[in-house]
Amino acid sequence: MSISLIGRIDSSNAAAVEETLVAQIRDGEPVVLDADKLEYISSAGLRVLLRIRKAHPEMRLVNVHEEFYDILDMTGFLEMIPVERAYHTISVEGCEVVGRGANGTLYHYNRDTVVKVYNDANALADIMRERENARLALVLGIPTAISYAIVKVGDSYGSVFELLNARSFSKILAQEPEKFDWCVDEFTKMLRRIHETEVPAGKLKDMRETALSWADFLKDYLPEQAAKKLHALIEAVPHDSHMIHGDYHTGNLELQDGEVLLIDMDTLAVGYPIFELGSIYNALIGFSEMDHGVISRFHGFDYETAKRFWSAFLADYLDTTSKAKVEEVERKARIIGYTRLVRRSIRRGGLETEQGRAEIENWKSQLLSLLETTDTLLFSRDDLEIEASAENLAEVQSFVERRLEAADCSPRALMQLGLAIEEVFINIASYAYAPGTGNATIRVEIDRAAKLATITFIDSGVPYNPLKKRDPDITLSASERQIGGLGVFLTKKLTDDVRYDRRDGKNILMLIKHL
Amino acid sequence: MDNAPVRIDLHMHSTASDGTNTPSELLCRVKEAGLTVFSLTDHDAISGCEAIRAILSPNDPRFLFGVEFSCKDPLGKYHILGYGYDPDSPSIRAVVDLGHRYRVEKLDERLVFLDRKFGFVFSEEEQAMLHALPNPGKPHLANLMVRHGYAPDVKTAFTNWLNQCVSEDLYPRPEEAIEGVLGAGGIPVLAHPCYGDGDQLILGDALDARVRRLMDFGLKGLECYYSGFTEKLRAQVLSLADRYDLYSTAGSDYHGANKLIRLADTGLSANAPLPPRLSRFLEALNA
Repeated sequence: MSISLIGRIDSSNAAAVEETLVAQIRDGEPVVLDADKLEYISSAGLRVLLRIRKAHPEMRLVNVHEEFYDILDMTGFLEMIPVERAYHTISVEGCEVVGRGANGTLYHYNRDTVVKVYNDANALADIMRERENARLALVLGIPTAISYAIVKVGDSYGSVFELLNARSFSKILAQEPEKFDWCVDEFTKMLRRIHETEVPAGKLKDMRETALSWADFLKDYLPEQAAKKLHALIEAVPHDSHMIHGDYHTGNLELQDGEVLLIDMDTLAVGYPIFELGSIYNALIGFSEMDHGVISRFHGFDYETAKRFWSAFLADYLDTTSKAKVEEVERKARIIGYTRLVRRSIRRGGLETEQGRAEIENWKSQLLSLLETTDTLLFSRDDLEIEASAENLAEVQSFVERRLEAADCSPRALMQLGLAIEEVFINIASYAYAPGTGNATIRVEIDRAAKLATITFIDSGVPYNPLKKRDPDITLSASERQIGGLGVFLTKKLTDDVRYDRRDGKNILMLIKHL
Repeated sequence: MDNAPVRIDLHMHSTASDGTNTPSELLCRVKEAGLTVFSLTDHDAISGCEAIRAILSPNDPRFLFGVEFSCKDPLGKYHILGYGYDPDSPSIRAVVDLGHRYRVEKLDERLVFLDRKFGFVFSEEEQAMLHALPNPGKPHLANLMVRHGYAPDVKTAFTNWLNQCVSEDLYPRPEEAIEGVLGAGGIPVLAHPCYGDGDQLILGDALDARVRRLMDFGLKGLECYYSGFTEKLRAQVLSLADRYDLYSTAGSDYHGANKLIRLADTGLSANAPLPPRLSRFLEALNA
């Protein structure tokens, strides 16, 4: 609730103003005093504010103009009362629309600046939160633009960003189709970076909670069994303290001076990446499933391009060439996607129009059939399961390298790990299943904060603990040395730590390396 | 008893000026609030203090005689507090009478002005009632105008009619008030120093100059702890008290239901030891 302070407040009317304010303030509601139309305030007026502040400690002052701000500063009121300064008013009439999101519209204000205008007139809290989020992301290593000013736009507010010659990925895809592969690559790389970023506890909302609330909403619109299953699937997703963007699409990636920037940070959260994949599916396909024109209206490229982009991205993100794997994760993503779409459409009155009902029916029926065939929303994303054979070494190495490169691994560490991986993988390929064949799983885990990479090799072959081998006597001549022992020795030399475990009939070998 | 925490509020108003509590109601509030020392400081009036003295019993909180004089000289307006004076001294009576005389003069001037200019007339009983007030002022007239239907509300009464009457703004001079308090054996203190006569903002060098001038007349203390002060303002006043070795006092400026100010809200925390300049002030009045 916001109360306007209007005109002059001095000793002649301070008591009356106080009375009016007290009458307007409702208990339990935060007191926000809007000083936009305040012309003059004397010290009697200041004291009225102080008294209200004492009775309502959470009181805030907004739209404070220069002169009043100076007085508040001089008298120490700034230290007692949260004050938001008045914002410069601008008009975005005639400005090019860069993108439209759930919370607002992004305009090119002039060559170097974009303004995000929020839909909600009470957007100040949202704007503040988005700024906080952007700062947090930047501190955690995600390249993003931070708004440097807040402006008033009509009845709402906007955030101003400096984007020098920036172009969104949507625009690049629409105008330069030859850059498709590059876009997929960068789009995936940025998303990996986000998903590898660990967020300190309590800084961002938990996406799992949000998704549970979607499932609860759908209870009244789905058959009981399906609703229960949906809830159980989401509930079974473990807590994950890694960042997710929440509204990741080609309109929210900007290319500026060769650097890729992530924008629109108000939906930042933490959670398991399936929630993110669900919303990416929606942005590229889900929204446009019935009306293929939606995608071109929002992003400028067509539905076919969007579908190709989604498949290429997902394969790249999962780092797999297996079609089955991509389809498996896509099904899980669609469960989240449709859940979101059905809820969103119902909440926006979709059931009241014929077109809306048709869309809801489409999404809902797909959701129901997916629910029947899905038992978990979890998927492995940093695992490569591959036949343990020497021919596959190159694929294993490139799988690991891509992850290490994305984590800004030093070239030296990269090379050393390459050698170590060769030793370990060839060893598994040669001995684990001999004379037959079998699979090995390779997992890469990066701890960005500690700058550590852990590469795990798992096979179900004969028990073998390479660490039990004694280090070879390297003073002996080549012909005198024991075969095999040198490889293990080299692996230990090339990494910072090697650990072995045997669990559930599996050899688990971990290489730990400082990046 | 010596170790019991001191809770203090040396600035409040009763119905003897513009507060809404009668002196006896005020005494009840003071006890409810757990104050151990208090003073009543009506504007230009000491009749409330005399009423309190008459009903005070031995176990009641320690009471200091007080008053708040509105003063003016060519350099500005001031509120001068007087504490611990002898109420029977002709010296303090003279200032109260002077203040009252000026108020009555201004009242008469305004009554004539309202009559001549706008045809607002009040009955003889009403006029007598106004004259009988210990310190009649513009708010009393405004209330009466609303009751007569001359003005829709108090605020409009002020802005549309009362403020048009440019009377000769008569007030005792600050040196008259300070000398009056000193002459009656009391201690003169500058009220809410940063706020001047209540509606100004006086800081830094201007405040310093003001305090020095009043010290030349005999000012002995500053109201450093005040409900309307922020920490920054309090720090300014405290540093002046240190610089010129003045007493400090603490007051809320409680007005009863007229304002949101809470009794005992002075900016001093309830359980903290009394600041030395305030202790010395209380000791000086004990003697």
